[in-house]
Amino acid sequence: MNEFLEQFLVESRELVEQAAGDLLALEENPQDSDRLDGAFRAFHTLKGAAGIVDFHAMGRALHAAEDVLSRLRTGQTPVSPKLISDSLTCLDLVVQWLDAMQETGEVPNDAEAAADAIVARFTDAGDAAAGPPAQAVPTQWIEGLLEKYPAQAARARVAVRYSPDANCFFRGEDPLALMEVLPGLLALDLEPDQPFPALDTLDPFACNLVLTALSSASAEMIVQAFEGRAGQVVLKPLAASSDTQQGDLPPHARGLIEAQLLLLLEPSNEGAAGRLAAAGRVSANVLRHLGRVDEARWIEQASAGSDGLRKALEAILAGAPIGATETAGVGATPSHDASARVLRVDVERIDALVKLTGELTVAKNALGYTAALAQDGGDPKALAAALKDQQALFERLINELQQSVFSIRVLPLRHVFQRFPRLVRDMAASVGKSVRLITEGDATEADKAIVESLFEPLLHMVRNALDHGVETEQQRLDAGKPAIATIHLRGSRNGEHVLIDVEDDGRGVDVAGVRRVAAERGVASAEALAAMADEEIAELIFAPGFSTASEVTDLSGRGVGMDAVRAAVGRLGGRVSLANRPGLGARVRLTLPFTMMMTRLMTVEAGGQMFGIPMDAVVETVKVARERIVPVGAARAFVLRDRTLPLIDLAEALGERRAASPKTDANVVVVSIGAELGSLEVDRLGERIDVMLKPMDGLLSGMPGVAGTTLLGDGRVLIVLDLQELLQ
Amino acid sequence: MTVRGTDAGIYLEGVCPIEDAEPLLQLLLADPEATVDWAACDLAHGAIVQILLASRARLIGPPKGVFLRDYVALALAHARA
Repeated sequence: MNEFLEQFLVESRELVEQAAGDLLALEENPQDSDRLDGAFRAFHTLKGAAGIVDFHAMGRALHAAEDVLSRLRTGQTPVSPKLISDSLTCLDLVVQWLDAMQETGEVPNDAEAAADAIVARFTDAGDAAAGPPAQAVPTQWIEGLLEKYPAQAARARVAVRYSPDANCFFRGEDPLALMEVLPGLLALDLEPDQPFPALDTLDPFACNLVLTALSSASAEMIVQAFEGRAGQVVLKPLAASSDTQQGDLPPHARGLIEAQLLLLLEPSNEGAAGRLAAAGRVSANVLRHLGRVDEARWIEQASAGSDGLRKALEAILAGAPIGATETAGVGATPSHDASARVLRVDVERIDALVKLTGELTVAKNALGYTAALAQDGGDPKALAAALKDQQALFERLINELQQSVFSIRVLPLRHVFQRFPRLVRDMAASVGKSVRLITEGDATEADKAIVESLFEPLLHMVRNALDHGVETEQQRLDAGKPAIATIHLRGSRNGEHVLIDVEDDGRGVDVAGVRRVAAERGVASAEALAAMADEEIAELIFAPGFSTASEVTDLSGRGVGMDAVRAAVGRLGGRVSLANRPGLGARVRLTLPFTMMMTRLMTVEAGGQMFGIPMDAVVETVKVARERIVPVGAARAFVLRDRTLPLIDLAEALGERRAASPKTDANVVVVSIGAELGSLEVDRLGERIDVMLKPMDGLLSGMPGVAGTTLLGDGRVLIVLDLQELLQ
Repeated sequence: MTVRGTDAGIYLEGVCPIEDAEPLLQLLLADPEATVDWAACDLAHGAIVQILLASRARLIGPPKGVFLRDYVALALAHARA
């Protein structure tokens, strides 16, 4: 790709972001003429850029949008949600083109048709500003689809028509595979786009398919599944007749599924696996017979574990809509990762590096001089002093070098935050709630790797806030709150940590409800639950498989959300906490390390070998007298400040045999893993060091309990432990 | 090879990638009356399904893959009707 095009891609992406931000702000406040001007300028500049690289289709599409925006500016047309949506669709299309160009280095050759569609949208909009949405396109395909699949039609919420472009096979895409993972797929239909030619002139590698489908998932989920293909997809929400019919199982079918459920509830003994498989198969067949294919597949997937299957069957009996399985619910977000491949770096930061390079060269020369002195038999004391000085100098320079390099690797949180206004807008519309999203501190910086992995956890958090936290408008008014809920997305820097809050002013976490459900689902024992404070109870929403929603919705999946957040954040070396104000709202906070490149470690010795423990996990180190350590079953524990801590012998845990119980006090490192405390017995405590952690690769990558390795000053390899794995 | 032609007809087996499209088309051109047995087919690329759609080849199934069986086979049957 030539430099020119690269520059075009980088700039265009920035302009698209700016335009989208302005459009959303404009929708919020239609009188904001600054934002309108901003959006207009961004579209105009984008159009100019398209002209420079000879991308006429893009120029045409943007020109149409610009025309409409210009009419908004002169006041000829009022700002309407449809106009904003159309303009956003136009931007989506541009992003899609940019992605294609990034991959191929050329202007996509199917762009004309998509541009035509956009232009048509805007001309309609101009002629009848307040007219019906642009769905007035022929809808015969929908009728045909509904006729062909009457059984599925009753439960369909969305009809989709996907016309992939002819070159999609060449790009390695498979439109059929996309349909396979379409959330809530009920029925599929295939037809040629153009009538097929005679077989001997058929080009097997040109896609000539139009794929139409019925889905039981929400329009929002389908839009997500087709992210980046806006121009090729037509969505048509269908009359929502589904929700009541969904639960209506014919009596005989209900009886059969209930019988399977009973079978699963029997105490597990031998033959449990066979029973599980049989129950899954019977239930799936019953559902398939009823034409409820997606649910049947869901059951088949859930048959892997008795708990999963039991829950799935209960959900079916309860008539919960099967919007999508968790995997689909997470949403496909491939195209966006491309955007951060090019980093824009402040020239001052580069200058700092250049200056450092100079200083390091000087320091290196000084070292050469000292080496020559040593060779000539200089005074050892003077040499030692000189070397020490130089070591200090190097330390300072390398420190600065690290800081400079980190500062190049950082990205502002804006990168991930900017996608949320749009998402919240769409999600709120799909659940019929009024929500305003306020983002703050989006200039806060964090390591690139962290910023880029934040989208998914944040999406779960925002979805949860929207779905479980925020009440309906009526409920809010009854509770004396403003009708429109507010969700804050806030970033801030606190020392070596980056804090990200998602705070809503909804109903907060229902502590009594969580306590009850936790007891029912066996998340913790009744005694443990009784002993827990309200705050601890609320934290249980992060426990695996927990969900307080009495009704499973499309939006926040099936209670895997918050669990997934904790796992994802844990992988980044951060933690999740919850501040709950019942009735007033909840705040979920992510505490993340500022950088992932450096890890602070504490070294310990066990079984004659050195190990590193991440400093973040270390709570304290204590000496414990042998008689205070008591065996509990096969394990050991001791009491520290009225709290019983399990004690694991590190050498034993790593497979070394302990020769004999030593007489001296035990050296114990108290560590926290998630919300739990544990402790490790080690032979000796070492020092604190900062290291660059290298993940394990090759043969060693499968080794449990090991996070990575690093080199010590004397050349020895230090193995860094993954406590989470080790203590489970 | 996941596509193979025999005297008894054409067989699609396992996961048929896009690379199978060309040989499948050639086999169908060589014998337009050939049946396509996809009973052992787990998954097929869109290009393969497109050829099945365009050629209206007689299919012997049902295919092994769930997605093919529950959705694609139905769609092909409807397209033929």
